[in-house]
Amino acid sequence: MDWEPATADDQVAGVPARFVAAPASTAEAAEVLRAAAAQDLAVVVRGGGTKLDWGMPPRRLDLIVDTHRLTGVVEHAAGDLITVVRAGTPLSELDFGSQQLALDSPLPGATIGGSVAANVSGPRRMLYGTARDLLIGITVVRPDGTVARSGGKVVKNVAGYDLGKLFTGSHGTLGLITECAFRLHPVPPARAVVTRTVPAAGVGALLTAVREEQVVPSAVEVDRPPGGEVTVAVLVEGTAEGVRDRAARLEKVLGGHSGDLPSWWGAYPWQPGGTGLKLTAALSKVPDLVGAAAETGIRGSAGTGVLYASVASSEDAPRLVERLRAEAVRAGGHAVVLTAPAEVREAVDVWGPVPGLELMRRVKDQFDPGHHFAPGRFVGGI
Amino acid sequence: MVDSTWGTQDGPRDVLGPVAGEPAFDDHRPPRSDIVDDCVHCGFCLTTCPTYALWGEEMDSPRGRIYLMKEGLDGEPLTASMVRHFDRCLGCMACVTACPSGVRYDRLIEDTRAQVERRFDRTPAQRALRAAIFALFPYPRRLRLLRGPLRAYQASGLQRLVARTGLMERLGPTLATLESLAPRLGRVTAPPRLVPARGTRRAVVGVLTGCVQGAFFPDVNSATIRVLAAEGCDVVIPSGQGCCGALSVHNGREKEAQRFARRLIDTFARAGVDHVVVNAAGCGSSMKEYADLLRDDPRYAEPAAAFAAKVRDLSEILVELGPVAPRHPLPLTVAYHDACHLGHAQGVRAQPRALLHGIPGLTVKEIDDPEICCGSAGIWNVLNPEPAAELGDRKARNVLATGAELLVTANPGCLMQVAASVRRLGGEIALAHTAKVLDASIRGLDPQSLLQQSSR
Amino acid sequence: MTSLEELAAALRAALGADRVVSDRLELRTYECDGLAHYKVTPGLVVLPRDAAECARTVSECVAAGVPFVARGSGTGLSGGALPHADGVLIVTAKMRDILEVSPADERAVVQPGVINLQVTRAASPHGYYYAPDPSSQQICSIGGNVAENSGGAHCLKYGFTTNHVLGAEIVTPDGDLVELGGRAPDTPGYDLLGAFVGSEGTLGIATRVTVRLTRLPESVRTLLAAFATTDAAGAATSAIIAAGVVPAAIEMMDALAIEAAEAAVACGYPPGAGAVLIVELDGPAAEVAAQFAQVTALCEANGATELRIAADDAERALFWKGRKSAFAAVGRISPDYIVQDGVIPRTALPEVLHRIGEVASAHGVRVANVFHAGDGNLHPLVLFDGAADGEAERAEEVSGAIIDLCIEYGGSITGEHGVGTDKAKYMPRMFSDDDLTTMQLLRCAFDPAGLANPGKIFPTPRLCGEVPRRHSAADAPAGAEIF
Repeated sequence: MDWEPATADDQVAGVPARFVAAPASTAEAAEVLRAAAAQDLAVVVRGGGTKLDWGMPPRRLDLIVDTHRLTGVVEHAAGDLITVVRAGTPLSELDFGSQQLALDSPLPGATIGGSVAANVSGPRRMLYGTARDLLIGITVVRPDGTVARSGGKVVKNVAGYDLGKLFTGSHGTLGLITECAFRLHPVPPARAVVTRTVPAAGVGALLTAVREEQVVPSAVEVDRPPGGEVTVAVLVEGTAEGVRDRAARLEKVLGGHSGDLPSWWGAYPWQPGGTGLKLTAALSKVPDLVGAAAETGIRGSAGTGVLYASVASSEDAPRLVERLRAEAVRAGGHAVVLTAPAEVREAVDVWGPVPGLELMRRVKDQFDPGHHFAPGRFVGGI
Repeated sequence: MVDSTWGTQDGPRDVLGPVAGEPAFDDHRPPRSDIVDDCVHCGFCLTTCPTYALWGEEMDSPRGRIYLMKEGLDGEPLTASMVRHFDRCLGCMACVTACPSGVRYDRLIEDTRAQVERRFDRTPAQRALRAAIFALFPYPRRLRLLRGPLRAYQASGLQRLVARTGLMERLGPTLATLESLAPRLGRVTAPPRLVPARGTRRAVVGVLTGCVQGAFFPDVNSATIRVLAAEGCDVVIPSGQGCCGALSVHNGREKEAQRFARRLIDTFARAGVDHVVVNAAGCGSSMKEYADLLRDDPRYAEPAAAFAAKVRDLSEILVELGPVAPRHPLPLTVAYHDACHLGHAQGVRAQPRALLHGIPGLTVKEIDDPEICCGSAGIWNVLNPEPAAELGDRKARNVLATGAELLVTANPGCLMQVAASVRRLGGEIALAHTAKVLDASIRGLDPQSLLQQSSR
Repeated sequence: MTSLEELAAALRAALGADRVVSDRLELRTYECDGLAHYKVTPGLVVLPRDAAECARTVSECVAAGVPFVARGSGTGLSGGALPHADGVLIVTAKMRDILEVSPADERAVVQPGVINLQVTRAASPHGYYYAPDPSSQQICSIGGNVAENSGGAHCLKYGFTTNHVLGAEIVTPDGDLVELGGRAPDTPGYDLLGAFVGSEGTLGIATRVTVRLTRLPESVRTLLAAFATTDAAGAATSAIIAAGVVPAAIEMMDALAIEAAEAAVACGYPPGAGAVLIVELDGPAAEVAAQFAQVTALCEANGATELRIAADDAERALFWKGRKSAFAAVGRISPDYIVQDGVIPRTALPEVLHRIGEVASAHGVRVANVFHAGDGNLHPLVLFDGAADGEAERAEEVSGAIIDLCIEYGGSITGEHGVGTDKAKYMPRMFSDDDLTTMQLLRCAFDPAGLANPGKIFPTPRLCGEVPRRHSAADAPAGAEIF
């Protein structure tokens, strides 16, 4: 297959590539990677290009493997509630009729492969889980060009190691994902969102009240603009009768009202080119974290303890990142700078402390002994 | 076997080497291999086993003990370690209840214990302790001596037998509990031979007076008799009943147990009753197994089966007959404890609860982990005082957690065991046999009368 | 002294004599797990009480070059805890403290020997429970669940162990204690926890597990539906799924399985039924009410001969008792049996059941079917009498043929019991050499010496020394040559 010379746009976090290859199949991808390995090329995988500025810049870069030709739904077995999708398929193009892949995509244009590799998630992770929970099978091409598969096309399956989980969130450092099998969910016929805006001090009580009420929300989101009050928004999905009843109960316990999804729903709070953080917390500490983020603002899944914050000014970034990280750690979680301008990335610890790093290095050494794939992009310089 | 573990190589090395010594079991009633084979090794019994709950070790679980029996049947010798694990079984039969495959572990352990008693050389100290216990417990009259002034006990000659073995020290906590529980009667008056039914006669029943029940809780026997009469039974109480043999059979003393059984069968045969009613769980369960115990006795096999078919726990017969005597309200909160030999061994769980629920004003609380033995287990708490105390404390904590003011159960051993632990934990709860609660309700007694027998 | 004797002495000195079992007869009680036809007497059994003791045990094994196998309650059905004759069996049954129950964080932290059901019992006073519910939940341990990624009837809606384990402290095969995951989700770095769960003891031993607690449903409704045939029951299942309902569970039993369960626990299933479905819905009351009407109608439309709705918890428990006792209950109707565990796409259910029936009758053995119909996880029970000439071999053939059917229909050789000892031989039928080699890269990262539960999962172990030389950038030829 053909490789193209890179153009000025073919950069990864500011590092220019020399070539671009766009395989259209797993076999072609294997061929590309075998050749790249033989030439000792450093490789970064690109899907929709929505997260190329995430993580650290690659230490070196020769080849971008672009998945835009690796697209399409291979199989949709409606009766079995599963699908097999090629990695380059944009999430927004998936249409399974009365069924859905319940993976929210905060960044328009993101592909399946990119979403899995970066482990992105949105509000409905509370009910449906994240990519790791929905993924039931994966086909990858290892950096040496070996094609490997794990899992399968049935939801229930414990044969062999679950490499799908290992590749989920690996940020392209272990190999190229070419196909993913997912479990699907029925599209619920009805939904409702109940919102209430309160001062930050009142968030804890609201979240507890929602939890006490056994209404099984699909999402419990919070949004706090810098210096502002906190909006709590709860999504319920189900049958028309069920949703009516559940929403009414939520209105009562929240003292809020039902309406449509708020405009900020499922979107990251930062602008392109800005500094964005992912903050996690134990559930009971989410109100503390929300309370501590007055200066930057905060948004995200209060129902699972995964939130996002934006740092507007680059000058303040190191101080604010450290403060938010301290708060997140105090809340039992972590703070990761997902994206930031070059000057911020250089000034802060993007990934923060990572437990089990030694084992992770050993995993990397096994899968990518030549450190060809996205070198330096991931935790601990992996 | 060629499979993926060994590939085409040889199987695993035999780490154990050849069997040494005489096989564990001889041909006289070894544990039945067909029953051993019924065990599919699923492990459902593990969490209900008190010793597994204590130690988490396979060989002290029913599954492990069955495995040890299998090893014995395969020719492994009766070693001290094997015997230790058999001895540690409380015989509570919770595993029999839990087993989905229907393994009759009760039969297995009974046969195994008889083999152990016949074939294994215990240490002199162990032998002496057991001899002392069995010189005492199955004999109501000797037991009664323990209750009275110490003088009587000292004069009895029993002291010489018992002192050397340390039995009195082991019995200390139990006796102290007994004294606090048992009403301080000057003497135990023997019950009458016959108490006629009140109102229309619906059945003629015999009542087993038992050893510990008769010696320490004669009031439970009186209550049993009154309740039965009130419910329309002619109640026959034959004299000279002796022991039912439960303790002996549960400890492998097969011959002794058979002797007791024959005597009891004869005694009740002469009484001409429809049913033999028992108010002590352990006694009832072994009497229902007489057919098995005497299966090889040509003269007694048949009468034993006929006798066993007549045996009823008090709660069973009362539910079978249905209540006729009016109940008076007892505004009490009680916790009902399933004695192992009633619940697990006889499957009698619903009946006592139904009877208690039939009393106006009475609230019945369930105890957490109901399937786990309280650690009394016949004489197990005498032979194994430390783990028994631990099990007793666990049970007592669950009992106290119910917040009930009265603990109701149908076995004297459980009452004493739980009371000792409640006392140790610094708690307080009154205790009563089911018969006494029913008696109080039927007679319209003050509920306070039931709260007088307390753990303190 | 042999190396095992030396190891035993060292471990006695380090942990205390009561943690080490070396008595011949006691060792034998550990020679098999729930899959009792594989037996290996362990060289030594160690029962650590905490993580430090467990780590010390592994360290001593590593120092002595002795393999080790972890075991929880010994209820596994794939021989995953089959001991190693020259190795140490590390039993976690004494590590059974529930360290923390935190409803506010929806988490519980437990030692690996804690029994699955005990987590739910500890959480339920707070309004929570632990969702994965293997049929053996009254006895299987959380550590074992983590090793096997155990499923259960309610996985259809709630997922498997891997979806409910948030963190674990593990002893690596080097003897180090390492934290994976944590109290908050999405720990940065590789999802090693996701890889660890379901690795069947080959990547280390979990010594502390943080699990998700799930809010108790407001309403649970359980339906027992009888059908004349498994085809009809299968059609009802498909209709329910097609209607967009996700029940908490849909379980099916065929006539033979019903007979066994009835004999064991007198569960009172409709007599004469060719198949029964247990359908359970849970969730908010209004939601459950709406969907329950739908499910009932669909069962009727698909030929249900009798519908029973559990009136109370006691009746619901009885419905489930029959199902959950079914495996062991088969012991009542057959001297011996093999429990199979395979997965097929749900839509292939009727076809595969017919083919299983054909294979069984061709071999002259009976097969009872118990399965999680909702997710196509079959548990055929192949009945035989080991004492009868050739029956065991024929049963083994039928069992293998069922696995082949699962692969043929695009399913899996195991849905929840694991590969263990029993199914390693089938792995190459489901996966290519490259797939298996790639999986073992993970093994090599965790356990290059191959001491952790060797011989399980993979039919041919990979040697881990083959890491290619790392190229330097300077060695690279000019990329232009590729064009």
